[in-house]
Amino acid sequence: MSEPIIQIKQLQKTFKVYKDHKGYLGALRNLFERQYNLVHAVDKISFDVQPGELVGYIGPNGAGKSTTIKMLTGLLVPTSGEVLVNGYIPWKQRKAYVKNIGAVFGQRTTLWWDLPLRDSLDLLQHIYEIPDDTFQQNLGMFREILELDPFMETPVRSLSLGQRMRADLCAALLHNPTLVFLDEPTIGLDVVAKQRIREFIQFLNHERKTTILLTTHDISDVAKLCKRVVIIDHGKILFDGHLNSLLEFFGGRRLLVVDFAEFYPEPSLGEAEIIQQDRNKVIYSFERSSISASKLINQLSENYRIRDLEVRDQPIEDTIRRIYEEQLLYNHPNGKENPSS
Amino acid sequence: MKRAIGLLAKLLRIQVRSQLQYPTSFILEVFSSAIILGFFFVSFALTFSRFDQIGGWTLGEVAFIWGITEFSFGVMDMVFSGFDYDSFGPMIRNGRFDQLLLRPVNITLQVLGSRFVLRRMGKILEGVIIFIYGLSLVNIDWTIGKIIYIPILSFSQVLFFGSLFIFGATTTFWTMERLEILNVFTYGGSEIMSYPMHIFPRAIRLIFTFLVPAIFMSYFPAVYILEKSDPLNAPGVVSFLAPLLGLGMLALALRFWKVGIRNYQSTGS
Repeated sequence: MSEPIIQIKQLQKTFKVYKDHKGYLGALRNLFERQYNLVHAVDKISFDVQPGELVGYIGPNGAGKSTTIKMLTGLLVPTSGEVLVNGYIPWKQRKAYVKNIGAVFGQRTTLWWDLPLRDSLDLLQHIYEIPDDTFQQNLGMFREILELDPFMETPVRSLSLGQRMRADLCAALLHNPTLVFLDEPTIGLDVVAKQRIREFIQFLNHERKTTILLTTHDISDVAKLCKRVVIIDHGKILFDGHLNSLLEFFGGRRLLVVDFAEFYPEPSLGEAEIIQQDRNKVIYSFERSSISASKLINQLSENYRIRDLEVRDQPIEDTIRRIYEEQLLYNHPNGKENPSS
Repeated sequence: MKRAIGLLAKLLRIQVRSQLQYPTSFILEVFSSAIILGFFFVSFALTFSRFDQIGGWTLGEVAFIWGITEFSFGVMDMVFSGFDYDSFGPMIRNGRFDQLLLRPVNITLQVLGSRFVLRRMGKILEGVIIFIYGLSLVNIDWTIGKIIYIPILSFSQVLFFGSLFIFGATTTFWTMERLEILNVFTYGGSEIMSYPMHIFPRAIRLIFTFLVPAIFMSYFPAVYILEKSDPLNAPGVVSFLAPLLGLGMLALALRFWKVGIRNYQSTGS
């Protein structure tokens, strides 16, 4: 196996959160004595990323995703621990380091707000010292794939969110970075725009062999793009491995959608639980390992009159949400060892 | 370094181009702001006509320092716009500063290049007019030294005001909000430098001597150029400290700026 492109060891970031005294006197007291809580936004995490990987870095809001990305991109200096990306310590060798990475933050733009897109890209050529032929070649390709032509002359502030994201992706890739951080690249986009961005990310990883660390709270991004996921919550890594193995453990639930021929107020069904009921249409959820679908269907037809039914796997999004909400990974053998406990 | 300056020039050129998109309105704006700003001086001059002198200085002599100060402040406000709170505060608050950290170029240079307000030509123009008006009224005993010193003095003032802007921008790393008190030194400083400073109460003079050395930026140099007697009885050398203090303050401001960036990187926004 080749040298990892990202190496993270025992990375920790602790913030002081000040507790302010209230009122005028309190404001005065704040000047002299301030009490604070220590919050471990990222708590001794370790993982590696190999060149060419597309890793989904996920977790609920406030889990520590952004803090990690900020440290990996050199925006934030860690409290302790080690990071080596592309052979650089991001926050120590900033200028040399950022030359070979790309970063897209869904909620912010790298582009100059008041300038036409073309001027922004032009400036980036100078900033990254991109040779003319590389620049033209890349720009030509991205213009086509991301369909930038209709708004090349439009000031960035007038672009729609989807257009701006495409423009930002182009901007982050013109200098051929070997590694790209994508932080919520599909946030706020409609289904079509999302799909387009996802296809582009796939192209980037497959065709251009770019290593990608994708942060998102939209699990469907990860489900469609990433083989490997790293799940973080409360600053700790809960899971690091193949998405499939995660789903094998926790995606064991299936859904049984039944359309009854008449209305039953409470059509109970043994071990299956009702998760949704809309007049005659009822959705049950059941554990694949504890009961088979055919058994349930038998029970149903014995007790009720049925018009139609369908068996589905629970969507990946729901599985992962359940992992967060019910904290299934804590104390689970497949969950990551917790180094601090 | 050469590349950095080339890049800065490019950043500025693009902004100038977009600001000159409507040349007629731009020119009108410059002239109207010159006239509006000039009214302060006109009203001062009208009041002045009742007194003949202020602390032993004639209208022409006041116009001389007033003009230089306005000119320098205008130049500074144009070049250092990126450090102006109005542009730097939002940059910190909405996270655009992070984007600068992600680019392989010096941060200070990027902030300098982030905003260039060509409209400040209005204030510059106003300064030039008042300065020329002042020259026409006073009878300066010109020497080579004085001719060379005037542009050096103006340049020192630009550095002086620019340093104050950088100090102000740096405090944003901690406060996120505008510290109104700093305007006392920037805008207040430029105001006070437009007058012969020995006329102010001792407390104010001390603040603008030892805390913010504004007095070395206009009053003392003018004492030399205009050959005024100095009721403060300062040694002659104080007339020539402006370039030294300008450079010193800039160095100090940039040092503080670096500390601010380091703090920003350890606390995040």
